[in-house]
Amino acid sequence: MSLDETQKSSGKRFKILIFSIIALILVVIYGLIDPSTSHFFPKCPVKSLTHYDCPGCGSQRAIHALLNFEFREAFRQNALLVLALPYLTLGVFFNLIKKPSENMMRWRNRLFGHHATLIVLGIVIAFAVLRNVF
Amino acid sequence: MDINEYLKLQTPPKSYLIESILVTVFCCMPFGIIGIVNASNVESFYKNGDYEGAEEASKKAKRWMIIGLVSGFVFGTLYFLLLMADAFLNFD
Repeated sequence: MSLDETQKSSGKRFKILIFSIIALILVVIYGLIDPSTSHFFPKCPVKSLTHYDCPGCGSQRAIHALLNFEFREAFRQNALLVLALPYLTLGVFFNLIKKPSENMMRWRNRLFGHHATLIVLGIVIAFAVLRNVF
Repeated sequence: MDINEYLKLQTPPKSYLIESILVTVFCCMPFGIIGIVNASNVESFYKNGDYEGAEEASKKAKRWMIIGLVSGFVFGTLYFLLLMADAFLNFD
């Protein structure tokens, strides 16, 4: 391994370390404190301005519920987030593969290709509309 | 087909779909949705064989994703600072 590569990988490791520490702190904060009873969690700017629920509204409460294993409550607060988590995890997994096999590329294109992306867009917009109607 | 073209065929440029969805749900919905639209552009260009267009769209998707991320972060920080200032000023 050349010096340049070594520096690059240690820089990456440092990034991962910082990222993990921040993630851990957030998990502890969101696990212990209920965002709906504390004032110290940022309110959604869209909701503050328009009084409509945006697709992200309730995600802090949903995370709090998920961290306390209250799946029904999490779903009630933000169903989109709960449904998106497995999909996002899969996406991260696909992004990590450096040299995918042909079969894997086919699945990647099915799940994250052009049509899939448009479906995601449709779901987000439909969710935004429906949650304000019902 | 030369090797570079083959490699391009194997892996489309990063569409930032995952990041854009995260921005939509956690930071700032409008910019996140622009990010998802750009992600679909990346895949669309790529599918039609326009690799330069796909690269261009990928850069654009990244830009909007970062704008969303930063605006969400700035808003969250400002909110927290204002609350702290409020708590500090009303402390007696």
